[in-house]
Amino acid sequence: MSEQQAPAERVAIGISFGNSYSSIAFTSGEGKAEVIANEDGDRQIPSMLSYVEGEELHGQQAKAQLVRNPRNTVAYFRDFIGQEFKSIDPTPAHQSAHPAQHDSTIAFNIRDTEEDKQNAVSISDITARHLKRLRTSASDYLGKDVNAAVITVPTNFSDAQKEALVKSAKEAGLEVLQLISEPVSAVLAYDARPEAKLADKIVVVADLGGTRSDIAVIASRGGIYTILATHHDYEVSGFQLDQVLMDYFAKEFLKKNKSAGDPRENERALAKLKLESEAVKKSLSIGTTANFSVESLVNGIDFQATINRTRYELLANKQIGAFVRLVTHAVEKADLDPLDISEVILAGGNAHTPKIASAIGNAFPESTQVIAPTTFPKAINPSELPVRGAAIQASLIQEFELEDIQQSTHPMVTVTPHLSHAVGVLCISDDESRGVFHAIVDAETPLPVRRTAIIATPKEGGDVLIKLAEGARHIKVTKPEPKPKQEKSKSDSDDDSDDDSEEEEEELREKTWKIGKVLSEAALRGVKKGAKVEVQINIGADLSVNAIFREQGGKGGVRGILQASAQAPNGSA
Amino acid sequence: MDVVQINLPLPILSEGWAAEKDFQPIGHLSRAIDRNIEPVGPHFLAHARRKRHKRTFSEDDR
Ligand SMILES: Nc1ncnc2c1ncn2[C@@H]1O[C@H](COP(=O)(O)OP(=O)(O)OP(=O)(O)O)[C@@H](O)[C@H]1O
Ligand SMILES: [Mg+2]
Repeated sequence: MSEQQAPAERVAIGISFGNSYSSIAFTSGEGKAEVIANEDGDRQIPSMLSYVEGEELHGQQAKAQLVRNPRNTVAYFRDFIGQEFKSIDPTPAHQSAHPAQHDSTIAFNIRDTEEDKQNAVSISDITARHLKRLRTSASDYLGKDVNAAVITVPTNFSDAQKEALVKSAKEAGLEVLQLISEPVSAVLAYDARPEAKLADKIVVVADLGGTRSDIAVIASRGGIYTILATHHDYEVSGFQLDQVLMDYFAKEFLKKNKSAGDPRENERALAKLKLESEAVKKSLSIGTTANFSVESLVNGIDFQATINRTRYELLANKQIGAFVRLVTHAVEKADLDPLDISEVILAGGNAHTPKIASAIGNAFPESTQVIAPTTFPKAINPSELPVRGAAIQASLIQEFELEDIQQSTHPMVTVTPHLSHAVGVLCISDDESRGVFHAIVDAETPLPVRRTAIIATPKEGGDVLIKLAEGARHIKVTKPEPKPKQEKSKSDSDDDSDDDSEEEEEELREKTWKIGKVLSEAALRGVKKGAKVEVQINIGADLSVNAIFREQGGKGGVRGILQASAQAPNGSA
Repeated sequence: MDVVQINLPLPILSEGWAAEKDFQPIGHLSRAIDRNIEPVGPHFLAHARRKRHKRTFSEDDR
């Protein structure tokens, strides 16, 4: 059993551990994350264990046992970790070993040895066994004994759940360097790519898994991430899409075999139906048609059928709409507008579904990039996003002492003041009397921060005024010109204008700025014709502002300091 | 971080504008909101280093 490792002796990997699938990845010497295939060749390894005559089967082999040996197969258990029995929803485990109360914890009564008797195997033991199998697969692949990991967890994992997971990992011979949240890990997977550019943006991560969907709205500011809102749903998930296909194929089967029973009413038939429906769903993400084929579905009757993607999309229309609503709801929860969202990263297995990606895209303006395999050619496999981020984080911290890592993740370090408004400059617009605000540092940027802007000057150069101000984002809505009415006289149309509103064209929505508090004025004199002005803003954690204004490439310039206001809450001055 | 490029021009200084060393402080920043930043990624590590060792950006650059 491995104790805490000296950093030099660590072999660390990233692990994503979902209710449905788990993945393992490591970061190569060149800093590239690679997802490891287990001995079955799987990179998405079902989070399942099954016992046959005392032999432990794992992953896809365990999943296959859901048909023949469901009561000794433990599946969909990740969310049970560290919970009390009374607070879990056992529904996902209906067709496998049932969780049961066991002392103050949860256990599965399974026959896990050669002996003909059931043992209560606790959730922490099951988790440890699963993690041990993942560790062994990684060790075999790397040819080194893996002894440490960064593991991803949902944003709503409780402290008790985290503690229990770390403990089980330890039993599996893994020192947990850090638990990181799944959506942030997905963003890191993208940001760590060599071609990635650091930018200030708001990103939504929609993680559409098998038993749950998790949405996070994240402010990404110069590579630092702040979660603004999250939304979790345990009804809208991959299971529901599987169910759509199960219902379809069950009905088709009944049409052709009128006297046979409904495969949904027989446990074994149901298990077969579910496994094959999930496979069909995955095929339809790539192909436009897919075959369903099960031997001896009910009463020894084999069943084959095909379905095309369009039919599937129609059948799943309601569910797809529900996925879209989860995403837009999370944006509302963050008090943001779809126009504020630069990117929607689709993660989780169901992000492969083309129609889900396009439907989510339709809920956002064109300025929002939806990153999924079918909407963005360079998308990373959505099933691998969390594990890649975890592997990258592992490589970043594996040389630190555990105590060091823990200190850095402490609220003393992570709780940080964030700007409530954007800070920027006023430029001139068509309307000479009013300036237009242009942000240099966005709202929700953690402090301290330093940003630089390069600003154009009037054609002839000369003396310019640089006004720093706060700005508030404003959504400007322009109603379309009312269409000239033909049938009705003008006097009528006023009364029933409400009724007509549905027929109106879409309104135009734009992101604009409202100028807020003016912070300072500065003058730069004798700016050369065609020159640009460089403004560097430093904002301290105490809300003090330190600005430098100079002609680009020029020396000297003007410096200004704004003290934090006396009642500023974070002021240490 | 990339530099912010602003293509709209700055206004011309009005005649008679004057301030000591050409800088006139006018207001203060609005209150900040305390939020938790995620302890993940290289830029967080740099932030944590600065915070724990009480270093500034420019000290960090050196
Ligand atoms: N290529 C694909 N096309 C469509 N759906 C897919 C594809 N690959 C996997 N899925 C579905 O994605 C879901 C699994 O998602 P993921 O791998 O993210 O699991 P997870 O994080 O373990 O999920 P959870 O914890 O929510 O159960 C399953 O419903 C699976 O059928
Ligand atoms: Mg998941």
